[in-house]
Amino acid sequence: MRDFKKVVLGILLAVFVYSVLGKISAPLVVVFNAFAWVVLYFGLVRQEASGAVIGTVCGLLQDSFSSGVFGVAGLTKTLLGFSTGVVARKINVTPVDRSFVFLLVMATAEVALWKLLNFFLFRESLSLGGGLVLLQPLATALVVTVFYQIVKKKQGEAT
Amino acid sequence: MKEKRNLILLAGLVFLHLVLISVQAPKGDEPAYFERAIFAVFTPIQHGIAAFFQKARDFWNNYFYFRQVQKQNQSLRAELFMLRQENQLLKNILKGYQGAEEIQRLLSPLSRSIIVASVIGVDSGHVYKSVVLNKGSVDGVKKDMVILDRRGRLVGRVIEPITFKQARVQLITDEESGVGVLSEQNRVIGVLNGGPTGKCLMRYVLKTNRDISEGEEIVTSGYDGVYPSRIPVGRIVSIAEDTTLFKSIVVEPYFDFSELDRVAVLAVDLRDLE
Repeated sequence: MRDFKKVVLGILLAVFVYSVLGKISAPLVVVFNAFAWVVLYFGLVRQEASGAVIGTVCGLLQDSFSSGVFGVAGLTKTLLGFSTGVVARKINVTPVDRSFVFLLVMATAEVALWKLLNFFLFRESLSLGGGLVLLQPLATALVVTVFYQIVKKKQGEAT
Repeated sequence: MKEKRNLILLAGLVFLHLVLISVQAPKGDEPAYFERAIFAVFTPIQHGIAAFFQKARDFWNNYFYFRQVQKQNQSLRAELFMLRQENQLLKNILKGYQGAEEIQRLLSPLSRSIIVASVIGVDSGHVYKSVVLNKGSVDGVKKDMVILDRRGRLVGRVIEPITFKQARVQLITDEESGVGVLSEQNRVIGVLNGGPTGKCLMRYVLKTNRDISEGEEIVTSGYDGVYPSRIPVGRIVSIAEDTTLFKSIVVEPYFDFSELDRVAVLAVDLRDLE
């Protein structure tokens, strides 16, 4: 139940961050994908089943704020949450450097998959929009790594 | 056993998404009902958040700054906004007319033709593609109405879905957008599409055409049947040639994302007045 509240809070925060960034400057929502932060974090700590479900919710929310086809981000984020959970369960990604590299790889894969889906299904161009989208995996990995390490440290102190 | 269950869950979710994507196959020009429903359900969230920020900003302004001065300033800014819009529209239209009676006839519908709207959401996946406005069908917003920025320069047009209190706007920087344009100086005609980086591309100008140059202003031509003529669009920043028959012309649009908090919706079809 406590975890459920955390998930809901995380998703609400993602919507809040998305709205604030959109108000400050539109291109910021490309660089800082708060929905991906939530999926990756809960994929890491709650493993694949939760990762997939949270990925679905966050992805569909992201789709609802976009004029693209509803379900594309949902699909990519579902796969992101699931694969993050599977890998995090099988290998140790707790150290800072490992978690950063792991999250960077996952976030890059998600952006690549999203672009490819749009290209193959809807014939959208593969252009990178001035390269801003390339910063997204880096920003995502950085934010989630920092947050994950802080939470881990706090939990360590508490126990 | 647990892994198998997880895989079934994943397969189920992937299937759900594929079904969702499939049901959105467009039926002619009409957007899928599903897309409309999703837009209607989720845009109030954006509306709520935008309203929250607006209230918070108003609260701050009203209680921590000079109250009366601030109010007066806001009122003057709103008035200035309307006047700029009217001025730009009038300039555009009067270019083609002469005679007091004709001008008088043109002026009367214009004062009631501008709906002021705020941008409450940007496109999370494609920033240069669309934005969401806080005005909808209740306010008189309809499909294909033209959107101008606070200085009367072209931003885009209203597209579906439109709900009671929200509407989506296709920006001229969208790659799927098409605007009939011409160069202000030598009236070279072309079609303006969005580019990948927030700039636009003026297409279908032949390589043999020597009447167009960098720095020239681009305005709407009115030939596309959607946008009225002579609305300022942008300025040519580069002209290049490649292997095709046409020039590669990059146009920097005038509208600025940072100023898109307030826009004007043209509720009258200016083509009727031309």
